[in-house]
Amino acid sequence: MPLKISSSPHFLSKVDTQHLMTQVLVGLIPVICASVYFFGLRAGLLILNCMVTAIATEAVILYLRKKALAITDGSAAVTGLLLALILPPTTKWYAATMGSVFAIFIGKHIFGGLGANIFNPALIARAFLMAAYPKMLTTFSAPIRWLIVKPQQWDSISQATPLVLKKFSQEITPNLDLFIGNISGSLGETSAICIIIGGLYLLIRKIADWRIPLSLIVTVVIISEIGFILRPTNADVLFHLFSGGLLLGALFMATDPATTPITKKGRYIFGIACGALIMVIRYFGGLPEAVMYSILFMNALTPLINRYTLPKAFGR
Amino acid sequence: MITVAECKKPQSKLRSEKFLTPKKLYLPLSQHTGKPSSCCVKVGDFIEESQVIANQDGYISSYLHAPASGKVIAINAWNNPVLGRSEAIILEPQGVSKKYLPREGIENLTKEKLIEIIAASGIVGMGGAAFPTQVKLKSPKPIDTLIINGCECEPYLTTDHRLMVENLKEIFLGIEIICRIIKPKVVIFAVEENKSDAIKQINLLIHTKKFSLLAARTAVLPSYYPQGGEKQLIYSTTRRKVPGGKLPLDLGCLVHNVATCFAIYEAVYYSKPLIERLVSFCGEALTAPKNIWVKIGTSLKELFDQKIIEFRTEPEKIISGGPMMGTSLDSLDYPILKSTGGFLFLTKGPKELTEGSCLRCARCVDACPMELLPLEYYKRAKKGEYQDLSTFNINDCIECGCCAFSCPAKIPLVHYIKAGKRYAPKNK
Repeated sequence: MPLKISSSPHFLSKVDTQHLMTQVLVGLIPVICASVYFFGLRAGLLILNCMVTAIATEAVILYLRKKALAITDGSAAVTGLLLALILPPTTKWYAATMGSVFAIFIGKHIFGGLGANIFNPALIARAFLMAAYPKMLTTFSAPIRWLIVKPQQWDSISQATPLVLKKFSQEITPNLDLFIGNISGSLGETSAICIIIGGLYLLIRKIADWRIPLSLIVTVVIISEIGFILRPTNADVLFHLFSGGLLLGALFMATDPATTPITKKGRYIFGIACGALIMVIRYFGGLPEAVMYSILFMNALTPLINRYTLPKAFGR
Repeated sequence: MITVAECKKPQSKLRSEKFLTPKKLYLPLSQHTGKPSSCCVKVGDFIEESQVIANQDGYISSYLHAPASGKVIAINAWNNPVLGRSEAIILEPQGVSKKYLPREGIENLTKEKLIEIIAASGIVGMGGAAFPTQVKLKSPKPIDTLIINGCECEPYLTTDHRLMVENLKEIFLGIEIICRIIKPKVVIFAVEENKSDAIKQINLLIHTKKFSLLAARTAVLPSYYPQGGEKQLIYSTTRRKVPGGKLPLDLGCLVHNVATCFAIYEAVYYSKPLIERLVSFCGEALTAPKNIWVKIGTSLKELFDQKIIEFRTEPEKIISGGPMMGTSLDSLDYPILKSTGGFLFLTKGPKELTEGSCLRCARCVDACPMELLPLEYYKRAKKGEYQDLSTFNINDCIECGCCAFSCPAKIPLVHYIKAGKRYAPKNK
């Protein structure tokens, strides 16, 4: 009778890395659907491009690093998908491919691979593309609702995002359009309702911890409400919640386990600081990239937050 | 704390059975925390049932008694499910079993005499830690709260549960004895909510006030793991936190497992030493799970040879204790100890697990009942940076396994922590 000897516990939870990543992909299905619905087949191709490139890059690097070919864990697929969802629908294929390679190679493996990266790979890749192709990354098209659009048609229907409209021409987009997603913006950032459905799924299934999204959103609500009361020409709470990458950032980027604090207290601090930074950039900043920069900045502060919020051990 | 699958059905409803006739008994001299007992018999000696065969050696130690009359056939190293291998007395039972008669004049026994009886009966904590009971009862500090541990939070195991359902009056008589010794202000009977039949009976006995227990109450706790851990139990019932390096008695608390209370009852009322205990045998590899009263020292192999328990399929793993903290065994040649609550026979798991990369998802941190940082220990232990481990309080770890259970990368965190503890400087 050959018996297996191992250290306790002999009972493990069914949740593994692959399960976590798959659930994130499942949570993003409504967002993917919304992006294809509003921006056509081109959105689907962009998503496919980013995901395939990310997985291929992961495979090549794991091979070069002589590591187990663990692409089935799904982490590269998630990174690729998240990157696609924060790009404008008109992003050229080569830029998207470069971004995906950057996300996996520089964003993840330079730091040591899965779980060792400091910055959210999708966000850092977007920041890179922002520097490389500033015009492409800030040109958004209006939602179109038919499947296939010829490339030359894209430029004719370009439109500023609600945040830009608000900032530079004091134009307020109706809240219902924001909520449903009938606005211009990055692929996955437009439909608030779809992001909320997917995000709630992750929180209910306990795939993502609720502390960061909750504290981030509550902070944004409080600051924008105060801002609105002080000066009614400011946008209201719902506008701030539903516009830009706020919900996608709060629910899918700021909950990335590797780049956010390991302590519960630290997660509240992370969320509150992120929310506050977003509002500061939105009120006083020059670019509408508040969510991306705030999360990246807080990613950099995560080790510090961890150090100062370490639990004291039971009873000590 | 975490929620784990209980796996306690159907054995929690099974009446306990008795198995009292082993062909050989293997009695390790170290069945408790502290110094091993010192053997006081020779090979060839004929021993009466309940006769002392090894003496208490030092303050934290315990007596060992013969579970059956018979001949000492060997004294040598033998398998020990906790220590791997240790010196043991091997006994071949012969003759008839002893009758235990009720002791006279129990009401008049003094506190000192009661402690003496308990010590002489070789009673140790039967919840798993096996700390000599008399040492806990000789508290140098006043105890205001006595907590009776009926939680049994490990999946599969149902011995404490069955004991509470079948022998609750005796357990209460045992608690009465403890109360006479330590005179607490409150007695809290802690049970997890998944044992509703036991809870009903406990409430009934507390309300009838037949027993002279001061301010006794039931604390029904949620079925979390490790609810039955001493520090967690004290916190759940009294909101007091026992700091690392301190003992429950520093906070005026004392915790005793229900099986220990039952053993105290038998020792005081019938002069019967701790020579048998209730053990759960469960797991998917068995034809049927069972709760059996077995003599201490009975070998697992013999239970199978005599077809008391049978395999349905070949097990992949045999575990002494529960699945969360138990140790895996390499064969059936292991005896039942005073602290053994059960044996598990597990069939093949769904898939082979390989250690993945840490995601820093902190699920281990969230799960840790001791508010520690398992992922940091793993990182440092792997790199060999043992100096740092003590500053992160690694020695406070109770090795409950919540972290490794929750880890999505399936990193054997407890294994790394055990290794880390061995090398971490013990200055604190």
